[in-house]
Amino acid sequence: MRYLLECEVVENDEVAPEQFRMRINAPELSRTAIAGQFCMLQVAEGLSPFLRRPMCFERIQRDHVSILYKAEGEGTRLLSKMRPGTTLNVQGPLGNGFPIDDSFERHIIVSGGIGVATFPALAEAIVRKCDVAPEVILAARSKHLILCADEFRELGCKVYIATDDGSAGEKLFASQMLEKLRPNPSCRVYVCGPMIMMKTTSDVAMAAGADCVVSLEAQMACGDGACLGCVVESKSEKEGEKMVRVCLDGPVFDTTMIDWAAHNMAYDR
Amino acid sequence: MTTGTTAATTPNLGIDLGGLKMKNPVTVASGTFGYGAEYSQYFDIGRLGAVTTKSLSLKPRAGNKPPRLVETPAGMLNAIGLQNVGIETYLSEKLPFLRAKCATIIANIYGHSADEYVELARRIDSEGAGDAIEANLSCPNVHDARKAKGAVLVSQDPRCVEEYTRAIRAVTKLPLIVKLTPNVMDITEPALAAEAAGADALCLINTLLGLAIDAETRRPRLSNIVGGLSGPAIRPVAVKMVWDARRAVKIPIIGTGGICQADDAIEFLLAGATAVSVGSMNFRQPDAAIRVLEGIEDYLLRHEIENVSELVGAMKA
Ligand SMILES: Cc1cc2nc3c(=O)[nH]c(=O)nc-3n(C[C@H](O)[C@H](O)[C@H](O)COP(=O)(O)OP(=O)(O)OC[C@H]3O[C@@H](n4cnc5c(N)ncnc54)[C@H](O)[C@@H]3O)c2cc1C
Ligand SMILES: Cc1cc2nc3c(=O)[nH]c(=O)nc-3n(C[C@H](O)[C@H](O)[C@H](O)COP(=O)(O)O)c2cc1C
Ligand code: FES
Repeated sequence: MRYLLECEVVENDEVAPEQFRMRINAPELSRTAIAGQFCMLQVAEGLSPFLRRPMCFERIQRDHVSILYKAEGEGTRLLSKMRPGTTLNVQGPLGNGFPIDDSFERHIIVSGGIGVATFPALAEAIVRKCDVAPEVILAARSKHLILCADEFRELGCKVYIATDDGSAGEKLFASQMLEKLRPNPSCRVYVCGPMIMMKTTSDVAMAAGADCVVSLEAQMACGDGACLGCVVESKSEKEGEKMVRVCLDGPVFDTTMIDWAAHNMAYDR
Repeated sequence: MTTGTTAATTPNLGIDLGGLKMKNPVTVASGTFGYGAEYSQYFDIGRLGAVTTKSLSLKPRAGNKPPRLVETPAGMLNAIGLQNVGIETYLSEKLPFLRAKCATIIANIYGHSADEYVELARRIDSEGAGDAIEANLSCPNVHDARKAKGAVLVSQDPRCVEEYTRAIRAVTKLPLIVKLTPNVMDITEPALAAEAAGADALCLINTLLGLAIDAETRRPRLSNIVGGLSGPAIRPVAVKMVWDARRAVKIPIIGTGGICQADDAIEFLLAGATAVSVGSMNFRQPDAAIRVLEGIEDYLLRHEIENVSELVGAMKA
């Protein structure tokens, strides 16, 4: 079931420079959404910006969901100005969500930048269903962009921090940090971040024989599988299965089915 | 919302679109509504005047490489490249759902040649897979639709429109709608060609060709480089083309292009459209088509108009 809801914004705070956490009152979503799914937000009442903005659920709680986002363009800036009490039109829950399987001995979360936003809900679900706390790698350009470390620790996760400039944790890329944790075939690795980071991290996980899922990003219009705008190339040779929709077939994919070589990073934002 | 309607004042929304009976004039634009199931989560799609399918081809198509979309002021550019499941999967997996919802179906088709359109129309007709056929002679995003010089669409050449329409006409008695591109000097030429070759209705307009470039990287935003512009940004262009075509042909027209709310739809009716289709707005507001329908009903009540068809071409010049 997908909903089209008028929701109340309960909180909308700047948690780090340009990074915001918004809590939304939406019992319909919190009761049905699973970790890894997302919603589409109508950021303006008028017709500009025209399209909705996709955002995944950071936390799925009793009557609320929260999103964690970076204010960069016009849409997310408008979102960041919404005061508590504002009504926001929300469409969701959309997409497939993360698979959770307690047969894996280790669960390793690898986040790059704002890609972390999808993982608190996942860590919580893994702790609940598998009775084991995931290991969490938080990678970002710099110290102030490392988010949610305390949230993960509160869930019992061991947190590894990697920054490009060495201002916090170790001066490593996410993929290098994953290598240090020595993934093996009894691990499942969950990755979300910039496309280039997801590719290199997937390569490390696959080389180690670990199971690996990625949460992909694409420009979206409908979020419902109708417009066919959000596709990425899969490894399928069949004409009808070559392009998979990030919104409906994903956003979470088994990384082995994605044709990473075909993806043109030059267009990534 | 429709409130307080009494039997005596309930307006008649039904229309006849070149032989296709629609319970109201509101349909959805091909490619913006999937195959119907995608939106049935939000409302009963059987309430629409018709559901228009994504363009169907003989074989499944993968379409263009991503990125395929970019947002633009009051609209968007797309270069999907007609990714679709193909006619066979449509028949086995998509059609039963539409029938179960009691939807009136406009099956939109796309072929690489007149022969392919003919084959598609035959299949739709013999399988009862549509209540009308809409021939998309105007997709701007497929290279195989462009001729030698690289930029000609079938419907940019009135002789091609006539040839293709005549060929399809010969194999089906279903109402035949021909969908035209706005990327022409004079819309009345392809419109007249379609009418002369036996089309029962026209659909105006498909997207306007456009290009968006990332200033930082100097790259086009779409991997296909160019794309089709849609959304409210194109509405005045579309309304004018309907008005132009209306005065040239006798067959009815489906008006399309940037319809967001009832007033927009009524603009098209006043300019001469008999029906309207809601396109890109479905992305922004998944129940937009139903809101447009309810708004038209309200308008008719407010203006004490009995039949929606009284609005067709009723602009006061
Ligand atoms: C499934 C999914 C989940 C996401 N979850 C989050 C999240 O939890 N937190 C977060 O900060 N961001 C998330 N994003 C990215 C977020 O949607 C974009 O940052 C946002 O749309 C940018 O909008 P803007 O108006 O600020 O930027 P602009 O650059 O002005 O946007 C212009 C257009 O490009 C699109 N766009 C721009 N950047 C991206 C991007 N990175 N991915 C997809 N579309 C983009 C916009 O939606 C808009 O249509 C997610 C994206 C997807 C696909
Ligand atoms: C993402 C997208 C896909 C489309 N696909 C098709 C298609 O397959 N066949 C077709 O005839 N028109 C297609 N169109 C054109 C629309 O049906 C419509 O003519 C056009 O978008 C103008 O209407 P709008 O401004 O309301 O969107 C597509 C438009 C969009 C935005
Ligand atoms: S966003 Fe429309 S199909 Fe995915």
